[in-house]
Amino acid sequence: MSARVLILDVGCGRKKYPGSIGIDMSPAGQADVLCDWTRTPFPDSTFDEVRLIHMIEEVDDIFRVLAEAHRVAKPNARVVIMTPHYTDHASYCSPAHRWHLSSFSLWFFSEKPAEYDYYAPAQFRERRVHVTLLRIWRALGFQILVNHFRWFRKFWEHYLCFVIRGKTVEWELEVVK
Amino acid sequence: MPRILDVGCGPTKYPGSIGLDMNPSTAADVLCHLDRGGLPFRDNSFDHLRAEHIIEHVADIIATMEEFHRVTKPGGTIFIATPHYTDFSSFRDPTHRWHLNTYSFLYFYPGGMHGRDMWYTRVRMREVKLNLRLLNLWRALGFEFLVNRSRFFRQFWEHYLSFVIRGKLMEFTFEVIK
Repeated sequence: MSARVLILDVGCGRKKYPGSIGIDMSPAGQADVLCDWTRTPFPDSTFDEVRLIHMIEEVDDIFRVLAEAHRVAKPNARVVIMTPHYTDHASYCSPAHRWHLSSFSLWFFSEKPAEYDYYAPAQFRERRVHVTLLRIWRALGFQILVNHFRWFRKFWEHYLCFVIRGKTVEWELEVVK
Repeated sequence: MPRILDVGCGPTKYPGSIGLDMNPSTAADVLCHLDRGGLPFRDNSFDHLRAEHIIEHVADIIATMEEFHRVTKPGGTIFIATPHYTDFSSFRDPTHRWHLNTYSFLYFYPGGMHGRDMWYTRVRMREVKLNLRLLNLWRALGFEFLVNRSRFFRQFWEHYLSFVIRGKLMEFTFEVIK
Protein backbone atom coordinates (compact mmCIF):
# COMPACT_ATOMS: atom_id res chain seq x y z
CA MET A 1 0.00 0.00 0.00
CA SER A 2 1.45 3.29 -1.04
CA ALA A 3 0.59 6.18 1.24
CA ARG A 4 1.76 8.72 -1.31
CA VAL A 5 -0.42 11.79 -1.51
CA LEU A 6 -1.09 12.74 -5.11
CA ILE A 7 -1.42 16.46 -5.74
CA LEU A 8 -2.36 18.07 -9.05
CA ASP A 9 -1.32 21.68 -9.68
CA VAL A 10 -3.54 23.01 -12.48
CA GLY A 11 -1.86 25.88 -14.31
CA CYS A 12 1.36 25.40 -12.35
CA GLY A 13 3.41 27.92 -14.35
CA ARG A 14 6.94 28.45 -13.07
CA LYS A 15 6.11 27.82 -9.42
CA LYS A 16 4.82 24.30 -9.24
CA TYR A 17 3.57 23.25 -5.81
CA PRO A 18 6.29 21.06 -4.20
CA GLY A 19 5.68 17.36 -4.75
CA SER A 20 2.79 17.87 -7.16
CA ILE A 21 2.14 16.92 -10.76
CA GLY A 22 1.93 20.16 -12.71
CA ILE A 23 -0.23 20.74 -15.77
CA ASP A 24 -0.17 23.81 -17.96
CA MET A 25 -0.78 24.91 -21.53
CA SER A 26 2.66 26.46 -21.89
CA PRO A 27 5.89 24.45 -22.09
CA ALA A 28 7.82 27.44 -20.62
CA GLY A 29 6.98 26.55 -17.00
CA GLN A 30 7.51 23.48 -14.85
CA ALA A 31 4.60 21.50 -16.23
CA ASP A 32 4.86 17.72 -16.29
CA VAL A 33 1.88 17.42 -18.63
CA LEU A 34 0.77 19.90 -21.30
CA CYS A 35 -2.99 19.82 -21.75
CA ASP A 36 -6.30 21.68 -21.81
CA TRP A 37 -7.76 22.37 -18.32
CA THR A 38 -11.09 20.86 -19.31
CA ARG A 39 -9.64 17.65 -20.83
CA THR A 40 -6.84 16.30 -18.68
CA PRO A 41 -5.45 12.81 -19.36
CA PHE A 42 -5.99 11.49 -15.80
CA PRO A 43 -8.45 8.76 -14.79
CA ASP A 44 -11.42 9.57 -12.53
CA SER A 45 -10.74 9.93 -8.78
CA THR A 46 -6.93 10.06 -9.02
CA PHE A 47 -5.84 12.95 -6.81
CA ASP A 48 -5.99 13.69 -3.07
CA GLU A 49 -5.62 17.40 -3.70
CA VAL A 50 -6.18 19.65 -6.71
CA ARG A 51 -4.77 23.18 -6.68
CA LEU A 52 -5.94 26.00 -8.97
CA ILE A 53 -3.80 28.98 -8.01
CA HIS A 54 -4.40 32.23 -9.87
CA MET A 55 -5.86 30.51 -12.89
CA ILE A 56 -9.68 30.43 -12.73
CA GLU A 57 -9.83 34.18 -13.50
CA GLU A 58 -8.32 33.41 -16.92
CA VAL A 59 -10.26 30.37 -18.18
CA ASP A 60 -13.11 30.35 -20.72
CA ASP A 61 -15.56 28.60 -18.44
CA ILE A 62 -15.01 28.32 -14.68
CA PHE A 63 -17.72 25.65 -14.25
CA ARG A 64 -16.12 23.33 -16.82
CA VAL A 65 -12.67 23.66 -15.25
CA LEU A 66 -14.09 22.91 -11.80
CA ALA A 67 -16.04 19.97 -13.25
CA GLU A 68 -12.76 18.50 -14.55
CA ALA A 69 -11.05 19.12 -11.19
CA HIS A 70 -13.99 17.32 -9.56
CA ARG A 71 -13.68 14.37 -11.96
CA VAL A 72 -9.96 13.74 -11.34
CA ALA A 73 -10.21 14.30 -7.57
CA LYS A 74 -10.94 11.47 -5.14
CA PRO A 75 -14.11 11.61 -3.03
CA ASN A 76 -13.48 14.03 -0.10
CA ALA A 77 -10.33 15.34 -1.78
CA ARG A 78 -9.29 18.93 -1.14
CA VAL A 79 -9.56 21.53 -3.88
CA VAL A 80 -7.68 24.76 -3.25
CA ILE A 81 -8.55 27.79 -5.37
CA MET A 82 -6.90 31.21 -5.22
CA THR A 83 -7.86 34.26 -7.29
CA PRO A 84 -7.65 38.07 -7.01
CA HIS A 85 -10.57 39.84 -5.36
CA TYR A 86 -12.30 42.08 -7.91
CA THR A 87 -11.39 45.21 -5.96
CA ASP A 88 -7.65 44.50 -6.13
CA HIS A 89 -5.60 46.18 -8.81
CA ALA A 90 -4.23 42.76 -9.76
CA SER A 91 -7.68 41.81 -11.04
CA TYR A 92 -7.24 44.41 -13.80
CA CYS A 93 -3.48 44.19 -14.41
CA SER A 94 -3.61 41.33 -16.85
CA PRO A 95 -5.55 41.45 -20.12
CA ALA A 96 -5.86 37.68 -19.80
CA HIS A 97 -8.19 38.09 -16.81
CA ARG A 98 -11.69 37.34 -18.03
CA TRP A 99 -13.45 37.15 -14.69
CA HIS A 100 -13.55 39.48 -11.72
CA LEU A 101 -14.60 37.54 -8.64
CA SER A 102 -15.63 38.09 -5.03
CA SER A 103 -15.48 35.92 -1.92
CA PHE A 104 -19.05 34.79 -2.70
CA SER A 105 -18.41 33.81 -6.33
CA LEU A 106 -18.42 30.10 -5.47
CA TRP A 107 -21.42 30.40 -3.13
CA PHE A 108 -23.59 28.04 -5.17
CA PHE A 109 -21.43 25.10 -4.11
CA SER A 110 -22.45 25.48 -0.49
CA GLU A 111 -26.01 26.84 -0.80
CA LYS A 112 -26.97 25.89 -4.32
CA PRO A 113 -30.51 26.50 -5.59
CA ALA A 114 -31.87 23.68 -7.76
CA GLU A 115 -31.62 25.56 -11.06
CA TYR A 116 -27.81 25.68 -10.68
CA ASP A 117 -27.58 21.89 -11.08
CA TYR A 118 -27.88 22.49 -14.79
CA TYR A 119 -24.91 24.86 -14.92
CA ALA A 120 -22.68 23.32 -12.27
CA PRO A 121 -23.42 19.64 -11.70
CA ALA A 122 -20.14 19.04 -9.80
CA GLN A 123 -20.68 18.97 -6.04
CA PHE A 124 -18.28 20.53 -3.55
CA ARG A 125 -18.52 21.49 0.10
CA GLU A 126 -17.04 24.85 1.08
CA ARG A 127 -14.56 24.18 3.90
CA ARG A 128 -12.93 27.56 4.26
CA VAL A 129 -12.86 30.97 2.61
CA HIS A 130 -9.95 33.25 3.37
CA VAL A 131 -9.69 36.83 2.17
CA THR A 132 -6.53 38.90 2.28
CA LEU A 133 -6.67 42.71 2.31
CA LEU A 134 -4.09 45.36 1.55
CA ARG A 135 -1.49 45.89 4.27
CA ILE A 136 -2.94 49.03 5.80
CA TRP A 137 -6.37 47.40 6.28
CA ARG A 138 -4.78 44.26 7.64
CA ALA A 139 -2.85 46.35 10.16
CA LEU A 140 -6.11 48.00 11.23
CA GLY A 141 -7.69 44.60 11.92
CA PHE A 142 -10.18 44.45 9.04
CA GLN A 143 -8.75 41.20 7.66
CA ILE A 144 -9.43 39.40 10.94
CA LEU A 145 -13.00 40.71 11.00
CA VAL A 146 -13.67 39.74 7.38
CA ASN A 147 -12.40 36.21 7.91
CA HIS A 148 -13.82 35.68 11.35
CA PHE A 149 -17.44 36.69 10.82
CA ARG A 150 -19.35 35.64 7.71
CA TRP A 151 -21.88 38.46 8.25
CA PHE A 152 -19.07 40.98 8.35
CA ARG A 153 -17.61 39.56 5.14
CA LYS A 154 -21.02 40.02 3.51
CA PHE A 155 -21.32 43.58 4.84
CA TRP A 156 -17.79 44.29 3.65
CA GLU A 157 -18.59 42.96 0.14
CA HIS A 158 -21.78 45.05 -0.06
CA TYR A 159 -20.72 48.32 1.50
CA LEU A 160 -16.99 48.63 2.19
CA CYS A 161 -14.84 46.77 -0.31
CA PHE A 162 -14.33 49.56 -2.83
CA VAL A 163 -12.70 51.59 -0.06
CA ILE A 164 -11.24 48.88 2.19
CA ARG A 165 -10.07 46.93 -0.82
CA GLY A 166 -9.50 43.20 -1.06
CA LYS A 167 -6.42 41.45 -2.39
CA THR A 168 -6.89 37.71 -2.79
CA VAL A 169 -9.58 35.15 -2.07
CA GLU A 170 -8.67 31.57 -1.23
CA TRP A 171 -11.18 28.73 -1.03
CA GLU A 172 -10.74 25.27 0.31
CA LEU A 173 -13.44 22.98 -1.06
CA GLU A 174 -14.11 19.33 -0.39
CA VAL A 175 -15.11 17.09 -3.27
CA VAL A 176 -18.51 15.42 -2.84
CA LYS A 177 -18.99 12.23 -4.90
CA MET B 1 -52.84 40.65 -27.63
CA PRO B 2 -49.28 42.01 -27.58
CA ARG B 3 -46.65 39.42 -28.41
CA ILE B 4 -44.01 39.23 -25.69
CA LEU B 5 -40.71 37.35 -25.66
CA ASP B 6 -39.03 36.60 -22.32
CA VAL B 7 -35.36 35.87 -23.08
CA GLY B 8 -33.69 33.74 -20.40
CA CYS B 9 -37.03 33.28 -18.67
CA GLY B 10 -35.75 30.79 -16.06
CA PRO B 11 -38.31 29.08 -13.80
CA THR B 12 -40.65 32.12 -13.67
CA LYS B 13 -41.74 33.18 -17.13
CA TYR B 14 -43.30 36.65 -17.57
CA PRO B 15 -47.11 36.17 -17.72
CA GLY B 16 -48.46 35.91 -21.27
CA SER B 17 -45.03 35.70 -22.87
CA ILE B 18 -43.14 33.16 -24.96
CA GLY B 19 -40.28 31.96 -22.78
CA LEU B 20 -36.82 31.28 -24.16
CA ASP B 21 -33.96 29.72 -22.24
CA MET B 22 -30.93 27.46 -22.77
CA ASN B 23 -31.80 25.34 -19.74
CA PRO B 24 -34.51 22.70 -20.31
CA SER B 25 -35.46 22.60 -16.62
CA THR B 26 -37.11 26.04 -16.82
CA ALA B 27 -40.50 27.36 -17.95
CA ALA B 28 -39.07 27.85 -21.47
CA ASP B 29 -41.25 27.32 -24.56
CA VAL B 30 -38.21 27.59 -26.84
CA LEU B 31 -34.72 26.26 -26.08
CA CYS B 32 -31.99 28.38 -27.58
CA HIS B 33 -28.42 29.34 -26.65
CA LEU B 34 -27.86 33.05 -27.26
CA ASP B 35 -24.14 32.62 -27.94
CA ARG B 36 -24.65 29.98 -30.61
CA GLY B 37 -26.52 31.66 -33.46
CA GLY B 38 -29.44 34.05 -33.47
CA LEU B 39 -32.98 33.96 -32.13
CA PRO B 40 -35.30 31.53 -33.97
CA PHE B 41 -37.91 34.19 -34.85
CA ARG B 42 -38.70 36.32 -37.90
CA ASP B 43 -37.94 40.04 -38.02
CA ASN B 44 -40.47 42.26 -36.19
CA SER B 45 -42.14 39.36 -34.36
CA PHE B 46 -42.65 40.96 -30.94
CA ASP B 47 -44.19 44.07 -29.40
CA HIS B 48 -42.15 43.65 -26.24
CA LEU B 49 -38.95 41.78 -25.41
CA ARG B 50 -37.67 41.21 -21.88
CA ALA B 51 -34.19 40.10 -20.80
CA GLU B 52 -33.81 40.08 -17.03
CA HIS B 53 -30.32 39.30 -15.76
CA ILE B 54 -29.19 38.01 -19.16
CA ILE B 55 -27.10 40.64 -20.89
CA GLU B 56 -24.26 40.40 -18.34
CA HIS B 57 -23.83 36.71 -19.26
CA VAL B 58 -23.70 36.77 -23.08
CA ALA B 59 -20.48 36.41 -25.05
CA ASP B 60 -21.22 39.38 -27.33
CA ILE B 61 -23.53 42.19 -26.14
CA ILE B 62 -23.62 43.95 -29.52
CA ALA B 63 -24.55 40.79 -31.46
CA THR B 64 -27.20 39.94 -28.84
CA MET B 65 -28.70 43.47 -28.92
CA GLU B 66 -28.81 43.22 -32.73
CA GLU B 67 -30.92 40.07 -32.42
CA PHE B 68 -33.20 41.69 -29.80
CA HIS B 69 -33.59 44.71 -32.11
CA ARG B 70 -34.26 42.53 -35.17
CA VAL B 71 -37.11 40.49 -33.66
CA THR B 72 -38.79 43.50 -31.99
CA LYS B 73 -41.25 45.60 -34.03
CA PRO B 74 -40.46 49.26 -34.80
CA GLY B 75 -41.79 51.24 -31.86
CA GLY B 76 -41.78 48.07 -29.72
CA THR B 77 -40.05 48.05 -26.34
CA ILE B 78 -37.14 46.14 -24.85
CA PHE B 79 -36.83 45.77 -21.08
CA ILE B 80 -33.39 44.94 -19.71
CA ALA B 81 -32.55 44.38 -16.04
CA THR B 82 -28.89 43.93 -15.10
CA PRO B 83 -26.70 44.61 -12.04
CA HIS B 84 -24.87 47.91 -11.74
CA TYR B 85 -21.12 47.21 -11.75
CA THR B 86 -20.70 48.45 -8.21
CA ASP B 87 -23.11 45.88 -6.79
CA PHE B 88 -22.09 42.75 -4.92
CA SER B 89 -24.16 40.65 -7.35
CA SER B 90 -22.16 41.80 -10.38
CA PHE B 91 -19.18 39.85 -9.02
CA ARG B 92 -20.92 37.02 -7.25
CA ASP B 93 -21.71 34.97 -10.33
CA PRO B 94 -18.68 33.42 -12.08
CA THR B 95 -20.60 33.49 -15.39
CA HIS B 96 -20.96 37.31 -15.43
CA ARG B 97 -18.78 38.47 -18.31
CA TRP B 98 -19.71 42.16 -18.24
CA HIS B 99 -19.87 44.79 -15.52
CA LEU B 100 -22.11 47.62 -16.68
CA ASN B 101 -23.24 51.09 -15.64
CA THR B 102 -26.16 53.37 -16.48
CA TYR B 103 -24.35 54.61 -19.62
CA SER B 104 -23.45 51.20 -21.04
CA PHE B 105 -26.26 51.26 -23.60
CA LEU B 106 -25.48 54.76 -24.93
CA TYR B 107 -23.74 52.82 -27.64
CA PHE B 108 -27.10 52.06 -29.24
CA TYR B 109 -28.75 55.50 -28.99
CA PRO B 110 -28.82 57.77 -32.03
CA GLY B 111 -26.04 60.29 -31.43
CA GLY B 112 -25.34 58.38 -28.26
CA MET B 113 -21.59 58.46 -27.74
CA HIS B 114 -19.77 61.77 -28.15
CA GLY B 115 -22.75 63.06 -30.18
CA ARG B 116 -22.19 60.50 -32.91
CA ASP B 117 -23.88 57.28 -33.90
CA MET B 118 -21.74 54.23 -33.38
CA TRP B 119 -20.85 52.61 -36.64
CA TYR B 120 -20.13 49.12 -35.30
CA THR B 121 -23.80 48.29 -34.81
CA ARG B 122 -27.09 48.43 -36.68
CA VAL B 123 -29.08 48.78 -33.47
CA ARG B 124 -30.92 52.05 -32.94
CA MET B 125 -33.04 52.55 -29.86
CA ARG B 126 -34.07 55.21 -27.41
CA GLU B 127 -34.04 55.07 -23.60
CA VAL B 128 -37.65 55.49 -22.49
CA LYS B 129 -37.10 54.81 -18.82
CA LEU B 130 -34.30 53.92 -16.43
CA ASN B 131 -34.99 52.82 -12.90
CA LEU B 132 -31.85 52.57 -10.82
CA ARG B 133 -31.90 50.83 -7.45
CA LEU B 134 -29.33 51.38 -4.71
CA LEU B 135 -28.47 49.41 -1.57
CA ASN B 136 -31.00 49.68 1.29
CA LEU B 137 -28.97 52.11 3.38
CA TRP B 138 -28.54 54.59 0.52
CA ARG B 139 -32.18 54.26 -0.51
CA ALA B 140 -33.23 55.07 3.06
CA LEU B 141 -31.02 58.17 2.94
CA GLY B 142 -32.75 59.41 -0.22
CA PHE B 143 -29.96 58.81 -2.74
CA GLU B 144 -32.05 56.43 -4.87
CA PHE B 145 -34.70 59.11 -5.27
CA LEU B 146 -32.06 61.64 -6.35
CA VAL B 147 -30.29 59.45 -8.93
CA ASN B 148 -33.62 58.62 -10.57
CA ARG B 149 -34.98 62.16 -10.35
CA SER B 150 -32.11 64.08 -11.86
CA ARG B 151 -29.94 63.15 -14.86
CA PHE B 152 -27.34 65.61 -13.63
CA PHE B 153 -27.17 63.93 -10.24
CA ARG B 154 -26.96 60.48 -11.82
CA GLN B 155 -23.97 61.58 -13.88
CA PHE B 156 -22.32 63.05 -10.78
CA TRP B 157 -23.07 59.85 -8.88
CA GLU B 158 -21.53 57.64 -11.61
CA HIS B 159 -18.40 59.79 -11.72
CA TYR B 160 -17.82 60.62 -8.07
CA LEU B 161 -19.94 58.63 -5.66
CA SER B 162 -20.76 55.18 -6.96
CA PHE B 163 -17.87 53.28 -5.34
CA VAL B 164 -19.07 54.46 -1.93
CA ILE B 165 -22.81 54.91 -2.44
CA ARG B 166 -23.05 51.69 -4.40
CA GLY B 167 -25.64 50.79 -7.02
CA LYS B 168 -27.68 47.63 -7.15
CA LEU B 169 -29.94 47.01 -10.11
CA MET B 170 -30.60 48.86 -13.36
CA GLU B 171 -33.93 48.47 -15.15
CA PHE B 172 -33.92 49.96 -18.65
CA THR B 173 -36.84 50.30 -21.04
CA PHE B 174 -35.84 51.03 -24.63
CA GLU B 175 -37.97 51.88 -27.66
CA VAL B 176 -36.84 50.24 -30.89
CA ILE B 177 -36.11 52.60 -33.79
CA LYS B 178 -36.02 51.18 -37.32
